[in-house]
Amino acid sequence: MLSYLDDFYFNSNLNHYHELTAPVAFGSGARMRRFQCGDMIISVLSYVFFPLSRYLSRRFSADQAQKEPLFSDAHVAEVSHEGLRAAVVDGTAAWDGGLARSQSTPLDQCLRPRRAAGDTEERMTEPSPERGGNKTPGADEERLASALHEEANREAATGTSEVQAAVMDGDQQQEDRESAGQEDGTVTVHEVLHMKPSPADGTDCPAEGQSSEQALTHQLMSLHTEDDADNISSPQQHIQIHDTEESLAPPVATAATEASECWDEYEVQIAGDWRDGAGGSEPPQASVSSDAPVQVNLDGPHDAPAGCCLPAPAHEMQCSLWQVPAGSYYPPVEQLFPFEIIWRVWEELDSCSAAAQSFTKNTMNFTVMSYNILAQDLLEANEDLYRHSPLRVLEWSSRCTLLVKEIQKWAPDILCLQEVQENHYNEHLHPVFAQMGYTCVYKRRTGTKTDGCAVCYRSSCFCAVSLAQLEFFKPETELLDRHNVGIVLLLQPVVSQGSAAQVKGPALCVANTHLLFNPRRGDVKLAQLALMLAEIDRAVKSCKARGQHCNVILCGDFNSVPHMPLYQLITTGHLYYHGLPTWMISGQEDLSYKTHCHRLFAPLWPSSLGITDNCQYASVNDLFESHHQESGKCRYSHDFMLQLRYCPAACVRPADLNLIPGVTDNTPDASSGNQPYGQRSSGVVTHRLDLESVYQHVLPGSGSSEVTTLNSGGGATVDYIFYSPQRVVSSEPEAGGEFVSRGLKLSGRLSLLSEDVLWGMNGLPNDTFPSDHLCLLAQFQLDLDTV
Amino acid sequence: MNNKFDALKDDDSGDHDQEQGSPKDSEKEKTEDEDKDQNASKKKVSEDRLKCLQPSPAGSRVLDIILPCVQMVVPGAGEHPLQYNYTFWYSRRTPGRPASTQSYEQNIKQIGSFASVEQFWRFYSHMIRPGDLTGHSDFHLFKEGIKPMWEDDANKMGGKWIIRLRKGLASRCWENLILAMLGEQFMVGEEICGAVVSVRFQEDIISIWNKTASDQATTARIRDTLRRVLNLPPNTIMEYKTHTDSIKAWEDFHGLVNASGGR
Repeated sequence: MLSYLDDFYFNSNLNHYHELTAPVAFGSGARMRRFQCGDMIISVLSYVFFPLSRYLSRRFSADQAQKEPLFSDAHVAEVSHEGLRAAVVDGTAAWDGGLARSQSTPLDQCLRPRRAAGDTEERMTEPSPERGGNKTPGADEERLASALHEEANREAATGTSEVQAAVMDGDQQQEDRESAGQEDGTVTVHEVLHMKPSPADGTDCPAEGQSSEQALTHQLMSLHTEDDADNISSPQQHIQIHDTEESLAPPVATAATEASECWDEYEVQIAGDWRDGAGGSEPPQASVSSDAPVQVNLDGPHDAPAGCCLPAPAHEMQCSLWQVPAGSYYPPVEQLFPFEIIWRVWEELDSCSAAAQSFTKNTMNFTVMSYNILAQDLLEANEDLYRHSPLRVLEWSSRCTLLVKEIQKWAPDILCLQEVQENHYNEHLHPVFAQMGYTCVYKRRTGTKTDGCAVCYRSSCFCAVSLAQLEFFKPETELLDRHNVGIVLLLQPVVSQGSAAQVKGPALCVANTHLLFNPRRGDVKLAQLALMLAEIDRAVKSCKARGQHCNVILCGDFNSVPHMPLYQLITTGHLYYHGLPTWMISGQEDLSYKTHCHRLFAPLWPSSLGITDNCQYASVNDLFESHHQESGKCRYSHDFMLQLRYCPAACVRPADLNLIPGVTDNTPDASSGNQPYGQRSSGVVTHRLDLESVYQHVLPGSGSSEVTTLNSGGGATVDYIFYSPQRVVSSEPEAGGEFVSRGLKLSGRLSLLSEDVLWGMNGLPNDTFPSDHLCLLAQFQLDLDTV
Repeated sequence: MNNKFDALKDDDSGDHDQEQGSPKDSEKEKTEDEDKDQNASKKKVSEDRLKCLQPSPAGSRVLDIILPCVQMVVPGAGEHPLQYNYTFWYSRRTPGRPASTQSYEQNIKQIGSFASVEQFWRFYSHMIRPGDLTGHSDFHLFKEGIKPMWEDDANKMGGKWIIRLRKGLASRCWENLILAMLGEQFMVGEEICGAVVSVRFQEDIISIWNKTASDQATTARIRDTLRRVLNLPPNTIMEYKTHTDSIKAWEDFHGLVNASGGR
């Protein structure tokens, strides 16, 4: 099992550090490589900074070299015991002074998220092998501490690129230390781990520790992810608790124990996950594996925009043991600190100094979550889809608890839920949300379905301007015979200035829907989407009529996969649908093997629906067109006039109409009713909302597909958050901040996972994720000066 | 020399012009007098409907004409009024009979007038689409009070944009054209007089008439709007023809016909 953990560790590291390290391969070769890398790092560090550190590393690597062959499953437990013991000894020595404590705080803080992932356990055990081999742990400790301190210094002082360069240097020097090579990696970890408790370290660099702590704190504060009630306490408090609990044991050891409890949850899953993918041949290195989530967490800064896929199935391994301290002390130069809770990493995307802009710009940050929470009735009606999940995780009580925790953890400012069962909403969810400061809107599906959509917004951030609850079931329109619903909410940002809250900035239209599932009925999905877009268009136009700009957020479960026609319509604003097979619209299933399939023909929906092919209400169009016209003019748009084509008054034959055979003997036929000659026969449907997806649908590190939902039928992306992206009108952004920009700036998002990883967790729902969908979470920056 | 039917025929591709006849002079004179009076009063009415309801100090003849004005079509309750009232006309050359023997009345018929969008659809929905018409036929849609002929007061200084369409496009283009006209999409004030679709042997022709041929800003605007509402390909040929040119061409043509012994 530990070996799998080990693999996992390397895998996850790889994803984040592939920039820094040479390409790595599977299996033993990979291991060599890893150790070489570790060696490189160490050598560079010591080379640059301290002769002593070099000496130390050599010595340790020699020790390790002896140990190395012994690393097998049988030895792991023993090793870890030793390690623990050693740590305790060290800890008692190390943790007397207040300085040490303060020093530990930044690290502790850094570790906090990892601990949530249950990673730290083995990190304690990790040093142990070396310790065991070492006859003078105390002395070693001191030396290590000093070496470590240097390393930390270096890490703090240098940017990623420098580290990379150092790696290169180290590579060249690698031959020197070939004998020690494999062990060096381990040594590094060892050092890292002991850095924390070592008194020397604490005394040596308190200032540095403070600064990085502050930086980290700052970063953490800037994220909404901090709210995790369980894990969050100030670093100081945390340490004190440990002290009281186990006076003899060092805080780190305590932390490790705690972590082990969390970790247990994942051990099996990880093992299963990595057995196949990563090569179980890896010798077990408990310490290494334990660090995995940590690494992931800390690695973010290097390639946060690019990589996020922490538990992505690693196809290669990587040596990044040495980077634990690097991560911990990584200088907060940029606001790029991914914050990981459990399995998913927070990606900061706003690389160009959000802080700098906030000085000159009046901006507001807010987060939006879209989450299909899996209605219990639907779960029970489709049990086959969830056979892989143990019964306990399918119970509503446990799912509800996890769900509430997850939402509380991320605490989005706007929360869009799908598959919210009415009784659960009333009894469980709404009371919690209300307590959290949300104002909620709920719309149950029509017909016999018990679930629906909900939109909740933080009352302290937004106030509602208008609300539309859409029902897609239209008895008079044959096409729209399905009981899906949507919510379109027009919000106004509220800024508290002093004690008074003030309405400010452009409006925000939040739309949430859950489109029909049926993979074969792309025609229905398109029509439902058109209704949604038309309502959004109305909201946007109502703002325009007041001279106000309106940004749009459209999210939900669209039951359509990326880049297929329905998705194209949303993101490009244009779709030529004529002749497409209906199954292709959503692309959930490939039914192309079928000899016969239904196809789409223009027009998609009858004009009696009152929706144009531009996905706008015909009447609204007219309403706002008439707004600009000269008074007294009766102007009507093409679409508006078509809307009245089959109105009752128009279907009565005029009394004074002479019957001329072949000329005036036509009969109006509303059923064939789709006007055959209008522009709609073009087979094109469009919309004018400028929308972009928050997610790119591919995991940057591995290139594998993101999934937002997974059941026994497989995984797919069907949930989205679309938003009005920022468009800079002026071509010169340097023009004194004067450039005109509208729209929302995507400043962060919660990374998704790949199907492999989710199966590694036993699929969905599981003990971590309560639904068969993952939540989507994005942070936006809104320019409040735009009106 | 010219007559109403000739005016309607102008856009013909020309294959039937020889057969075209004209009403007897007396008949024509009579019709034109009547037309002029009616036009004068009805046009006023259409320009200001309220005025037509006021008692007129004019002579008995004027009063006679005002009477039908009171019965003028009005929008129904809750209907969407149009800026102007319009009248549908239909004309057809009776097959198998020499055109010269057909009177104007035999060739063109008023289908009905309407004042609201709903009333428009009421007529339109009960009419055959132009593309389904048989033979040598035309639909005309003119503002109430304007006759679909060159000599009408509203038309005599005017002209028209002509678009020749290959077979199969007339129904869609005609509908788009008249919806734009009724919905006041051309934005040229009161310049628009009406529109015609002419179904011919090998092609169909649609045209839109305006009052002032010399007003280039107006004609350009009409052209651009046409392109937009008809969704025409950029290379579509559009031709503007003044009615005086049309009249002259007709006279020249008939001069030839006369010289060769016809008519």
